[in-house]
Amino acid sequence: MIAAAARESRVVGALGRRALTLQFRRAQLLMPTFVLPLFLLAVIASGTSAGRDLRDFPEVSSYLGFVVAGTLLQGALLAGLTAGIAMASDIEGGFFDRLLAAPVRRTSLVLGRLAGTLGLAVLQMAWFLTVALIFGASYPGGVLGAVGAAILAALTAVGIGGLAIAIAIRTGSMNLMQSIFPFVFVLLFTAPAFFPRDLLTPTLHDIAAYNPLTYVVEGARGLLQDDASLGDPWLGLAAAVGLAAFATGLAVLALRDRARRT
Amino acid sequence: MSSRTNSPAGPVAWAFWIRSLGEVTRVRGALVGTSIAPLVFLLGTSGQFGRLSGLPGFPTDSYLSWIIPLCCLQGAGFAGAAAGANLARDIEQGWFDRLLVAPVARPLLILGPVLGAITRAMVPVTLVLVVGLLIGGELTGGPLGILALYVASVGFCTVAAMWGIAMAVIFRTQQAGPLMQMGVFLGVFLSTAYTPQLLLKGWLEDVARFNPVSHVLELGRQATVSGIDVSLAHTWPGLVALAGMIAFFGALAMVGLRRMGR
Repeated sequence: MIAAAARESRVVGALGRRALTLQFRRAQLLMPTFVLPLFLLAVIASGTSAGRDLRDFPEVSSYLGFVVAGTLLQGALLAGLTAGIAMASDIEGGFFDRLLAAPVRRTSLVLGRLAGTLGLAVLQMAWFLTVALIFGASYPGGVLGAVGAAILAALTAVGIGGLAIAIAIRTGSMNLMQSIFPFVFVLLFTAPAFFPRDLLTPTLHDIAAYNPLTYVVEGARGLLQDDASLGDPWLGLAAAVGLAAFATGLAVLALRDRARRT
Repeated sequence: MSSRTNSPAGPVAWAFWIRSLGEVTRVRGALVGTSIAPLVFLLGTSGQFGRLSGLPGFPTDSYLSWIIPLCCLQGAGFAGAAAGANLARDIEQGWFDRLLVAPVARPLLILGPVLGAITRAMVPVTLVLVVGLLIGGELTGGPLGILALYVASVGFCTVAAMWGIAMAVIFRTQQAGPLMQMGVFLGVFLSTAYTPQLLLKGWLEDVARFNPVSHVLELGRQATVSGIDVSLAHTWPGLVALAGMIAFFGALAMVGLRRMGR
């Protein structure tokens, strides 16, 4: 039992390392995941900072520090989507069929890919928080708050990765995976990613309550700003873990279904 | 008929145009990204930052009306950049080499893809405008305002197509795709995208002032922003900016094309 678990953990580790290595080998894949969110952060922080003058905007130490939580969420979404695209690429290229023929548990194939997503997300979050800090963001929550926010976002990346992998396994099309890129932003924009929930338009305010990412971004914001009124970190953790567990289950089911069909 | 070639310009440009339009049916999901992304952005951004229109100095009390022209330009820009990505694919697959040895004037080789991009751009531009107006955007500029918005969109699509084609003939690989899209992102968002010049703060205030796309946005905003009336004063800076950008990026594309043929 223990020996089997150790073997599967080696499989998960190896597949996770492969996923990360491939990501860094293709520089063009790094651009959207590492540069795009920072670019949007810079534009939003400068372009909408007048919003601090609105009556109900909460008191925060820095606007950049407030909106960076949205950047973490955006990074998580892109890291997750990248996992799906990479999986579709493996399916189209035939590598995945060879993995299916290997004497390993199906679950390990999914967990291995998600381990790579987790590793990528951790690097991303550290990068985003550091760059924002250099450009003037302040984190009253200190190192612990920043680490907590990064963990929330990285777990969310696993959840989104699970959903993307489930779609990739069901469709096997890289073209289609690239086409769902805009839909990922639906999840971002229906959460209070860059503005407080109370300042969203009434319709979006109501929709946001049903989006688990709302609780993740508010939790991360609460941790970074050390202000529980901005968001409950435990609620954020519950949302991130719940999403990750649900999405991983979906991906495993999709894989079993595919294995039965092929 | 060109003095240096023996193929009539009209039918050649027509053939390239039709071939370029064929991408829509040939590539699955070709229109999805360029059409859905600006729509998602329209709904998301107006929901997130809608309260910004309540700030003193904002030229309209409808943030949706402020953001509609931005999303039209974004859709047109991505459709334009896609012309570069398609050309890069043609170069990689060897198709473009065959065109280079054909008795056809060089400018016609890029005229067809540009015309195709403009035609394709009409889909997201119209979709964004119609949806925006249906969900509460204001049409304050009347028919002349709509004309200004379409001129701005067609012009910006041409700029983006020239930029994409220039990148394609310089790098000659599809891997330059993110660079093409990033150029459009930079052009659009480093402008008065989210708030008017008056409300911009920090580095973006200076960048947006010198970014010609800010003038193009003003040209388009005559359609929907009540504080920007249809007038020559709001029209000519945008037209001059478009002419300048088309001339610059067009020249860049032609230089790259000439070097390629040597």
